[in-house]
Amino acid sequence: MLDLPARISDSLLLLIEAQRAVAHLVIDDAQRLVQAGGRLEHYGLCGLEIGSLASDQIPLLEGMLPLAETPFLIRSMAMPSGRIADVHFFADEGTVWVLLLDVTAEHDEAQLVQQKAYDMTLLSQREARLIAQLEATNDQLKRTHRELAASQDALQLTHDRLQAELRDAERYVRAVLPAPMSQPFEVDWRFVPSTELGGDSFGYHWLDDEHFAIYLIDVCGHGVGSALLTVAVANTLRSEALPRTDFREPSQVLAALNEAYPMERHGELFSTVWYGVYEPASGNLRYATAGHPSPIVLSGGQARALDASGPCIGIVPMAKFAQVQCKLNLPARLFVFSDGAYEIARPDGSMMELPDLMQTLSQAPASGQSELDHVLQVAREAHGPGALEDDFTIIKLAL
Amino acid sequence: MLQKKICLLGAFGVGKTSLVRRYVDTIFSDTYLTTVGVKIDKKVTAVAGEEVALIIWDIAGEDAVSAVRVSYLRGAAGYLLVVDGTRPETLETAASIQGRITAEIGAAPFIALLNKADLVDDWALAPERLQQLEAEGWRFRRTSAKTGDAVNESFAELAALVAK
Repeated sequence: MLDLPARISDSLLLLIEAQRAVAHLVIDDAQRLVQAGGRLEHYGLCGLEIGSLASDQIPLLEGMLPLAETPFLIRSMAMPSGRIADVHFFADEGTVWVLLLDVTAEHDEAQLVQQKAYDMTLLSQREARLIAQLEATNDQLKRTHRELAASQDALQLTHDRLQAELRDAERYVRAVLPAPMSQPFEVDWRFVPSTELGGDSFGYHWLDDEHFAIYLIDVCGHGVGSALLTVAVANTLRSEALPRTDFREPSQVLAALNEAYPMERHGELFSTVWYGVYEPASGNLRYATAGHPSPIVLSGGQARALDASGPCIGIVPMAKFAQVQCKLNLPARLFVFSDGAYEIARPDGSMMELPDLMQTLSQAPASGQSELDHVLQVAREAHGPGALEDDFTIIKLAL
Repeated sequence: MLQKKICLLGAFGVGKTSLVRRYVDTIFSDTYLTTVGVKIDKKVTAVAGEEVALIIWDIAGEDAVSAVRVSYLRGAAGYLLVVDGTRPETLETAASIQGRITAEIGAAPFIALLNKADLVDDWALAPERLQQLEAEGWRFRRTSAKTGDAVNESFAELAALVAK
């Protein structure tokens, strides 16, 4: 204890009492309020009844008495008036003294500091959680990236294998095409599929010493399905493998083909076919068409289309096909082609048409260039850069 | 009238004061205002038809440098341990406080409130840890001082426990 003169210690007490708004409560061992004084109204403790149970009137005392330790301090307690008090408990000869000292200013200052510290801590905790989430997301992304890369490798392998198989198939499609010939008349062709596997195929061969068959097939669509069907049809015609059919009679051939390749049994695919038989001895050409573009004959400086009509192969069961015969005035050049040889979309959206092809064929190509290369060049120039949209096939017989 | 002292304890910023304000005054504010010291409220509730006055001690939260003064719980009939469901570390603070209370004061009824249940997208408590504490006798309630979800029910449940 400070050994202060009474005058000084009294002054000190007066100073504390003035600055801290001291109030006091005294409670007996029966927990009744026996005395109350000082600045009670400063803390909102008004109307206290001496002699009544203290904790009924002053909630902060609930459970606190009897004292387990003395002195005992509760720091910064909010009082009913809104002031903040340090609450001091002292045991004294059967009674408990409760002293209230105002610490509102210190409390408010501490609250400001604590508020800033907690705000910072909460922010840093949140930042740490966000960083952890970002890292977890990053890890997940890396895993996904690795899985994607593995999938891409597997896809690339599959793609390479399929490409190799498609190249094999394309080689086969080309391998079954007949070679150009020059005797006793010239036959040449150009074949440019729009994709690696197209729907066009063709063939020509001697049926006997007097009859030469020529045919062109255009299966709707492109790709593996169309290529398989067009090769099958071409092989059927090449091997003359249609029952009860005279291959010298085009109408019979197309009718038999129509029965052999109905679209409902061939992947909903149908085809256009032109089939003709030429007799060199007489100069006669018999032909029939199944929805195919009319061939063009150039003879005596004139170009004409060999018109005929008939439904596409595979659409109409039991269909009949008209057969046309004409005599060719030699020398003549016969061009058989698919619609891809002239239905070319120009960059401006307009389309080339059959008369354009006839005009091209009527023009003499540049010196040294074959007629077929000239037609292909015109088509490519009309189309512009990139692959043609449709298969380009044209056969020329120079008779 | 039966009068019971109960305390709210937990880490700072978990929503102790907001839960009291929601329960006593039916209000909520999004503004965070830290508690320094102690604030006492009184609310009369009914337990099995009998009125019970709850003397609610809202005690400043625990942080890294200042621990909750367990001696403030002297005479408390029970307590609510409050956890912020979006901050897993506050569950461990609650576990630490509960251990000290049991060691210094002895066993007393308590309920752990997993507060801020409205922040579903930010919920971060590990179910395994909750199961582990449940196995130790903890009982949990998901509360939201913001929406009021399970707030009155939690105080009523503790009141029923302490009024026995």
